[in-house]
Amino acid sequence: MEDLKAPSIDYAAVAPILILFGAACLGVVVEAFVPRRARHAVQLTLALLATLAGLVVVITQASTRVTTAVGALAIDGPAVFLQGAILVLALVSLLLMGERKLEPGGAFVPQAAITVGSEADERQAARAPGLTEVYPISLFAIAGMLLFVAANDLLTMFIALEVFSLPLYLLCALARRRRLLSQEAALKYFLLGSYASAFFLFGVALVYGFVGAVDLASIHTAAAESDRDPLLLYAGLALLSIGLLFKTAAVPFHVWTPDVYQGAPTPVTAFMAACTKVAAFGALLRVLYVGFNGLSWDFTPILGVVAVLTMIIGAVLAVTQTDIKRLLAYSSIANAGYLLVGVLASGERGLASTMFYLVAYGFSVLAAFAVVTLVRDADGEAGHLSRWAGLGRRSPLIAGLFTFILLAFAGIPLTSGFISKFAVFAAAMEGGQTWLVIAGVISSIVLAFPYLRVVVMMWLSDPSDATPTVSVPGVLTTAALAIGVAMTLLLGVAPSLLLDLTTGAAEFVQ
Amino acid sequence: MSGGEATLFWILAPLAVIGALGMVLARNAVHSALWLVCTMLSLGVFYVAQAGPFIGMAQIIVYTGAIMMLFLFVLMLVGRDASDSLIETLRGQRVAAIVLGVGFAGIVGAGLSRALAGTGAIGLDAANENGNLQGIAQLLFTKYVFAFEVTSALLISAAVGAMILAHVERAKGEKPTQVDRMKARFAPGSYPGPKAGPGIFATSDSVATPARLPDGTFAERSISKILPVRELTSEESALKGTEK
Repeated sequence: MEDLKAPSIDYAAVAPILILFGAACLGVVVEAFVPRRARHAVQLTLALLATLAGLVVVITQASTRVTTAVGALAIDGPAVFLQGAILVLALVSLLLMGERKLEPGGAFVPQAAITVGSEADERQAARAPGLTEVYPISLFAIAGMLLFVAANDLLTMFIALEVFSLPLYLLCALARRRRLLSQEAALKYFLLGSYASAFFLFGVALVYGFVGAVDLASIHTAAAESDRDPLLLYAGLALLSIGLLFKTAAVPFHVWTPDVYQGAPTPVTAFMAACTKVAAFGALLRVLYVGFNGLSWDFTPILGVVAVLTMIIGAVLAVTQTDIKRLLAYSSIANAGYLLVGVLASGERGLASTMFYLVAYGFSVLAAFAVVTLVRDADGEAGHLSRWAGLGRRSPLIAGLFTFILLAFAGIPLTSGFISKFAVFAAAMEGGQTWLVIAGVISSIVLAFPYLRVVVMMWLSDPSDATPTVSVPGVLTTAALAIGVAMTLLLGVAPSLLLDLTTGAAEFVQ
Repeated sequence: MSGGEATLFWILAPLAVIGALGMVLARNAVHSALWLVCTMLSLGVFYVAQAGPFIGMAQIIVYTGAIMMLFLFVLMLVGRDASDSLIETLRGQRVAAIVLGVGFAGIVGAGLSRALAGTGAIGLDAANENGNLQGIAQLLFTKYVFAFEVTSALLISAAVGAMILAHVERAKGEKPTQVDRMKARFAPGSYPGPKAGPGIFATSDSVATPARLPDGTFAERSISKILPVRELTSEESALKGTEK
């Protein structure tokens, strides 16, 4: 047999992924060798530096357009842009995770294995420093996401999906307060996530049955040229979409979202809401735009129905929520619907507007969850909405910032929310998907109600004894909150900075 | 499919399906695991029959032999009496799940059989040209090398995660020392001597038979808690007439 030729890998192009994986492994080693007292500082620094280094390399690779590792990875415009977006948003989430001022020991449980409610549990909840393994685990998740948006064949994509999902399941279980809720959330997310992964894998098998390969270029060619019965291809695409739509939290695959968002530690919720959305939509865009773009006439009506359902159900259920984290979870479901509108708009406009939306939404949602971590009483965060009544009188600055973010979510002009909604709806109009835009506008109107209700509650109600105090944030949370709010404002008043970037990046390589 | 392969398929395929159903339906976790072993073994044989000997043997040795057995050990260690509660929290959930599951299986099955009717295997000889194992190695180290390497990240996070979720660190003083245990053993209220072993009678040498104390009563402590107490019939517990 002939000798194996080592595959050529463009190491510069994949360097961000490698840096993050390397730093994650290093983090595990740090856990073993660095004394306990210094671990938190070392781990946080390492994670931030690695993310920053990855970001710098991504920026230097801004004009790279290659497929590498024998076609397994495509480092092209959308991949580089989305990798950059994931890294920036992850950087901000890491700041939130690293905060230890708000609560002695941070938001994470010191020892997850201690029985909930036992004497040892009460002792550790009071003062023991939180787990530091969360940083290497988060780095693994970030690295998996970077790989996920660059994967050019379905097998690599599946492995990347698992690589970033497993750490997320773990992180969900590590809340310091309300640990049973947190563990339940992790178990639900794990079980449902495994089902979704199984669907994805099943879809890969069916697509392989039709195409005889799993790389997206071959799928594109086979879909266009093969004269066989395309049933396998359709069934495969349907199952693949289930796997991906689960991660994006689209209806009817959304049921995990509220429980998981509520149960997970708030910094992790922020991380999931911002970064997982970017990664999942990045992969969905690549699968639909590169592999299956020849079938867009066939999948657009079905995914359109999913988008409409997602927007309407997310918005309607958000109205009935009484917990701020659940409210934001349903709002994130509705936002997945708007993003799907952008995806279905197809073409360069659709791609660019979806990418813009992802970044703009990511920053806003990070800032929103940063505020949620601040509003707390002796038992931890005060999640129930009735407790937020009168917050505007007690701490006008924080309530003001939160109001601004909520207005951005509602799509008021001069915020990034307006520009991003406008961009995806305009792209959808151009792509001939008027019905999606109509549903989107109706859903936006419905969704404005719960946001405005919170605003009214904060400013127009009198503070009661139950109104919690707003803790003074540490440097890290302040930075995260400031970045989130500043970007929401900046992308609202000067969107062309990012719009130019997304338009320039909006082309996949085959 | 040739005649031999078809015969093999029609014998093992029902076994695989029965195993899968048994795994879901069995009340006992150990039985579930054993049913799954049955399914996995059948699948392993299928892979071998379909000219994939390496993956077939890996399935049998690694999955069935190693992982499932490890799983069984864990189940045994955790205790086989830990059975699931079968109370439905959502009413009608089980019926809905069965209907939807059967419906989904029907759709996928019908679709597959329609799409694959009359389709033969293509490219099998080309894939196995240099030998099956070499073919797999070639793919793993060229086309899928990145994916292959990245699975290590998956294993590391799984290992770290398992440790986080299962390992309890004990500070000095929290763990009972030898002295503490001795004191507890001889403290009033505990019986320091060895426990009575399970009873052995002429008609029953089961570990489920409780020992008898000198006064003729059963020693409840002599049998494991998870075993059902085996009631002796009056015939069995009667004196055997050997004491003379």
